[in-house]
Amino acid sequence: MADKPNDFIDQYQAFVRQGVEAWAKQFDPGAAPTEAPSADIVGRLFAGLGGFGDWMRAFTSGESPATPFAHGTPPFGQPGPAEGFAPFGYGPPPGAAPGSDGFDEWARVARETLSMPALGLTREQQEEQQALLRAWIDYAQQYARYQALLQRVQDRAGDTMRSQGMPTDADSLRTVYDRWVNFSEESYAQAAMSEEFREVYAALVNAQMHLKVLQQRQVERFAVQAGLPTRREVDSLGERLQAVRRELRQMQGLATEVEVLRAEVAALRGAPGAAERRSGASRKDVGAKAAPARAAVKKVSARKVATKSGATKKSAVAKNAAGKKAAAKKVAPKKVARGKTR
Amino acid sequence: MSANPFHIDPERARAEVEAFRRKVEAGMETLKNVGPIELGTTPREAVYTEDKLTLWHFKGTKKPSAKVPLLICYALVNTPWMVDLQEDRSMVRNLLEQGEDVYLIDWGYPDGADRWLTLEDYIDGYLDRCVDVIRRRHALDAINLLGICQGGVFSLCYAALHGDKVKNLITMVTPVDFHTPDNMLSHWARNVDIDLFVDTIGNVPADLMNFAYLTLKPLRLNQQKYVAMVDILDNPKEVENFLRMEKWIFDSPDQAGETFRQFTRDFFQKNLLIQGKATVGGKVIDLGTITQPVLNIYAEQDHLVPPAASLPLKDVVGSKDYTVLPFPGGHIGIYVSGRAQKLVPPAIHEWLAAR
Repeated sequence: MADKPNDFIDQYQAFVRQGVEAWAKQFDPGAAPTEAPSADIVGRLFAGLGGFGDWMRAFTSGESPATPFAHGTPPFGQPGPAEGFAPFGYGPPPGAAPGSDGFDEWARVARETLSMPALGLTREQQEEQQALLRAWIDYAQQYARYQALLQRVQDRAGDTMRSQGMPTDADSLRTVYDRWVNFSEESYAQAAMSEEFREVYAALVNAQMHLKVLQQRQVERFAVQAGLPTRREVDSLGERLQAVRRELRQMQGLATEVEVLRAEVAALRGAPGAAERRSGASRKDVGAKAAPARAAVKKVSARKVATKSGATKKSAVAKNAAGKKAAAKKVAPKKVARGKTR
Repeated sequence: MSANPFHIDPERARAEVEAFRRKVEAGMETLKNVGPIELGTTPREAVYTEDKLTLWHFKGTKKPSAKVPLLICYALVNTPWMVDLQEDRSMVRNLLEQGEDVYLIDWGYPDGADRWLTLEDYIDGYLDRCVDVIRRRHALDAINLLGICQGGVFSLCYAALHGDKVKNLITMVTPVDFHTPDNMLSHWARNVDIDLFVDTIGNVPADLMNFAYLTLKPLRLNQQKYVAMVDILDNPKEVENFLRMEKWIFDSPDQAGETFRQFTRDFFQKNLLIQGKATVGGKVIDLGTITQPVLNIYAEQDHLVPPAASLPLKDVVGSKDYTVLPFPGGHIGIYVSGRAQKLVPPAIHEWLAAR
């Protein structure tokens, strides 16, 4: 147990050293490849069946299955903080799994030590690494709370099932299993809608995100030092690009409006000698004359967008659609379009 | 005394386990012979593309009798092929057979470049341009819009913003009140620091979304479903159907980060839509401005969008022509069950034909 500052400093130095080594290993071409993915069909099938197998073994030995809700589903798509695991290999002593007294005691001491100020040239990096470790401890503890809550759900389901007594239709293991699933899901649904679950769930997600964002900062620092583009830079570019695209669309919309207004003004003014013809015309007639102008503007605008976006693959489709569109406009007068069409 | 409260003959239990094992072993042969799984079987043509989006126009075996086309706006989560899963389970195919002229927005698979797409970009941008394309193709001022789940929310927002372009509005399994007591997803999302979440992960990975959905009913969806699969392993056709559904569930797009942030914060956490306070691109969404006919279809056993989340639409929508249609099934069954094929498309067609 790292209960003395000197012990901790030794471990901390080892942690930093391991961190650099772990990072450097990412670029080692001789490193072993990751495990080949298994066939999805078989993998998923056996993941489910594994749970059934666990249940059968536990059932036939008269025990309650342990945390079946978590079976095969690590939290939020990542492995949970298992015993002895921590960022860069630094972690609690053997036997102190998250949720245990041993872990909590280690976490208390570690937190205290990690709150000490950093010094010197690398103080910023040290602070980041201390924050990372504190975040991992927090995540491990929130994860343990979540698991404990799930275990309570399962225990309650087991109690309910036992209190129901001997059902008359339970003539096979499968029947009993299905009944057990029903009880468990009912118990889970009840817990999942509780205030406690909401708080624990959010705390777990927030803790995981906090840990992840600190991990990202570490990686960013390494990437910058190695002259590699970073996620943050790409995001900044993407954000600016999307803002420009949005602005462009807005301006195109305004340009369309201006064209429509121009067309309406032109129609109102009319060509030389049109004033007399227009004198008896209603507003509806004016609108009817303006409508084709509006449609024409929209068509031009759409083509412009397609060209500017540079998406060559879509040009054929867009042209085809525009052709059909133009043809349809010619044969379908506005009046028909506005009439009852069903 | 064991904790086992049941008295099943040990020999019988052993035989049952052995039979189960044999079934699994035999079923491996079926699994080995399953070919590639495809979704979306109805012939279709891409009539518009932009970024990752494709607007599909479906081709029926006969000319549509409906003069006003119907645009289906699906949710961003999952692919839209739930509405055209397979030949004998296809809402699209059945709508075509009824005489509808059907279009569908396929939002595609967003990647890092789409991280900054907002609700405004989706609703006032992509959706609006798809509607315009169809209006121009058919020389119509307004078309019929059918929104599904989150796509229903998009459709409501769109109809509120561009009512002149929507002739009739249909919402299917669409939440309006996100804070009903039985809405588990909303309950879980309430205290999550959504800014930290999106700032950290950017686009929300599909696996993460699927994980959240699986944990709504963890034992049923992670375990019991696959135990039950053993029962059908000797039936290649059933296995194929099962795997097709698996593909649809897990072949999901990531969620554009900014849109996810806005949707979770404004809808799931703050429940702004029903209060008339939601905004898209700075414009307030007032559902009271929706005055065109509205058909609201909900699933009675929906665990994702409980009926109570859909039904309040009646009280906030401005239309005097409001129809509600309950379907006896769940969130997915409303598209793929045998009963849905017989009930839902004809009901939609009849409702539209009367308007």
